[in-house]
Amino acid sequence: MASSIFSKHRRAMLVKSIKGFWEEYSRNRIGLLGLVIVIFYITVAVFAPWLSTHDPMKPVASAEIFAMPEWMTIFPGRGNLPRTMKIPMSWSPLDMSESMNLVESGEKLIVEYNGASTQTANFTSFFLYTYSAPHRFKIAFSWSAQNVINAKYSIELFIANPAGNEYILWTSYTSRQWTLGLSSSSNNVSKTESFYSSALSEQRFSHIRERLGLTGLENICTSVFTDIGEYRLRVQIKVGAESDIEQGTAEIQLEKTQITILGLVYGILGTDAIGQDVYSQLVYGARISLAVGLSSAFLSTAIGILVGVVAGYVGGAVDEILMRGVDVLLALPVLPLLLGLVVVFGTSVWFLVLLIAVFGWLGLSRLIRSRVLSLKEMPFIECAKAAGASKFYTMRKHVLPNVVPVALAAMILSVPAAILTEAGISFIGLGDPTAPTWGKMLHWSFYTGAFSRLIWWWILPPGLAITLLTLAFVFIGHAVDEIVNPRLRRRR
Amino acid sequence: MREYLIKRIIFSLITLLIIASLQFVIFQVVAPVDPTTKGMMDPGWDIDIKDRLTRLYGLDQPLHIRYLKYLQNMFTWNFGLSFDTRKPVADEMSWRLVNTVLLLGTTLVCTIMVGIPIGILAASRRGKKTDVFAIGAGMFTWGVPTFFIQILFLLFFSYYLYIWLGVRIMPTSGLHTIPPPESPFVFIADVAWHLILPVASLVLSGFGSWALYTRNIMLDALTQDYILTARAKGLSERTVLYRHAFRSSLPPIVTIVTLAVPGIVTGALITEFLFSWPGIGGWYIDALYQGDYPVVQAVVFIYAVLMIIANVLADLLYGVLDPRIRVGYRR
Repeated sequence: MASSIFSKHRRAMLVKSIKGFWEEYSRNRIGLLGLVIVIFYITVAVFAPWLSTHDPMKPVASAEIFAMPEWMTIFPGRGNLPRTMKIPMSWSPLDMSESMNLVESGEKLIVEYNGASTQTANFTSFFLYTYSAPHRFKIAFSWSAQNVINAKYSIELFIANPAGNEYILWTSYTSRQWTLGLSSSSNNVSKTESFYSSALSEQRFSHIRERLGLTGLENICTSVFTDIGEYRLRVQIKVGAESDIEQGTAEIQLEKTQITILGLVYGILGTDAIGQDVYSQLVYGARISLAVGLSSAFLSTAIGILVGVVAGYVGGAVDEILMRGVDVLLALPVLPLLLGLVVVFGTSVWFLVLLIAVFGWLGLSRLIRSRVLSLKEMPFIECAKAAGASKFYTMRKHVLPNVVPVALAAMILSVPAAILTEAGISFIGLGDPTAPTWGKMLHWSFYTGAFSRLIWWWILPPGLAITLLTLAFVFIGHAVDEIVNPRLRRRR
Repeated sequence: MREYLIKRIIFSLITLLIIASLQFVIFQVVAPVDPTTKGMMDPGWDIDIKDRLTRLYGLDQPLHIRYLKYLQNMFTWNFGLSFDTRKPVADEMSWRLVNTVLLLGTTLVCTIMVGIPIGILAASRRGKKTDVFAIGAGMFTWGVPTFFIQILFLLFFSYYLYIWLGVRIMPTSGLHTIPPPESPFVFIADVAWHLILPVASLVLSGFGSWALYTRNIMLDALTQDYILTARAKGLSERTVLYRHAFRSSLPPIVTIVTLAVPGIVTGALITEFLFSWPGIGGWYIDALYQGDYPVVQAVVFIYAVLMIIANVLADLLYGVLDPRIRVGYRR
């Protein structure tokens, strides 16, 4: 019974001391600000999958490379920049020769041909486009030819703009020849996905330019997307018999087509050098930074307390050895050594946490040791000793609880250093390639020319995010430090 | 004092020995890199060329012999040939070291010139705006990543101003313009121009902790009795502040110079990388990327040497500044 009363009393004491601590802490405005910021980051980190729009580890181009944030369209001259559009389109028949037969099966259109002379069929579909010309557009067009017996065919795809100019985008034949009917298998769907880019320098677009009827210096996208309005896609199917005497048959299947326009503005924070959403990367980065900062600070504090208490309390040769070891470790160039170890032993985030912790406890252990040395002379330790408490028991029950508050402040103050070390290593490019970190975002922005193109929406957010988080921990650390170290308390 | 110096030198040698041994363990035992296969594969070579190379590099000898030879080489400034350039690492290092020392030295001097006066002012005007500024600057130093300040500097001064004004106000990278100017005066001015951004960013991100520390030490000094005496004598506030309070706080301030040096040295690693400064830090990162381990070993070793030199220098300076130690030295 006695022991339960005792523990109840202790619990009450603990609650009281925490309440007192909070009362003092809540008077510190900067400390509260830091706490609010850290809670915000933790919330973001926990709810990252719901807050983000994309998985940052999947390199999917959401928009054009270096697309601006979408809210930048409120500035004059930018309102008409294209948004990312994915428009699925189904074909509707325009005209057809009489010896052809149209069958609709689900989403597919099947054109059956059975005759001797060359026949044509046209299908069309529309989409509305209200922005200025994009840099790239993509058309995914799927078709297949089945049961081709003694027949030849050609398929051509056109795009017409509101001004009425029609350009040929794609043909099933090369160098103006018929595709000969060799295929008879049923699952032979040909899919063509073509990018049409405005980049004049790209050699591979020269033949497209020629096919579109443009000269070598004309821009494909600005030539096609001239106006706001209805754009028409047209597919022309031509089927004829192989020879004039015999009859041929063929079935041409058309599937749904899709036109994709990559936006020049996208999302909350635009896109990076491969068109990935920056905002999602930013949100996920909070996870790594918080995890690295908190876990390595915790680990290093644990080591620091252990070494400091043992060195201070046991004393003698143990103290000498431990403190000389600390001196040696303090003389090591930590960051270069960390980089070397990461290169040799792997770039996993958790390994890095371990390394930061291993080099991070040195200053703390000295601090704790000096505390323990003064504690050792206190009467209550003497009493414990006189009552027959073992060395280990005294350390655990009497010394340790008295150094924890100091260690707590030091732990919070060591979080920024850990976060900055991880960010620095990732920024150099030696971070974990499988983790979406802020340092990595900065690294790629530095290496892919985001600086010379002034892509501030990719450079500034990760840097600001790191700065705000580390500053918040500094604020909290100072507030806690002021409470646990009465010497630092301001005169009131 | 002499005893102390001898102790210090022995301790430094032990530290260097540990660094060298650690690197030997990492690069020769745990994750050995075979120089006979690295970048020297030619199908036309004889079958025994690998053996000859192995003998040339001494890889056929037992580990302890290799360890002793390695230690001997490290301590005699013989770092071997770079895998990458096939030139002696020591030669490649010397001119890069000059650049790094130029950058770090300038930074150190500028940080002292900015940080300490602010700290003194803050202490003399406790609770006023200067004091709040010093405290804020200290937190800023703790919390704001140096490389982010540098990114901002680079982005704004080198790129945005170039786009807006059409003239390059600040260089983006390197030690000098390419090709370097022929006149020596222009060359020096050119190097100074290239130094501005890295040094300014390092000073901005570093002066705060010095200001805060100076302030705290000065506050301690200003509450002492001898200050009261000095004031009672009718000395001007200026004299009290600089001749009495600051003079007595100098030794501990010098101590933090010691403590700050490691941070500056390793902080310069990312600075050199960011501004493409041809110092040993950027070289180190390149060497890591290319697996050029002789260079990696040499640079970490040199970093340790630099840190030890800085520590010893600070200790000596402490002796010069603190009369109590100086008198002991004369005796």
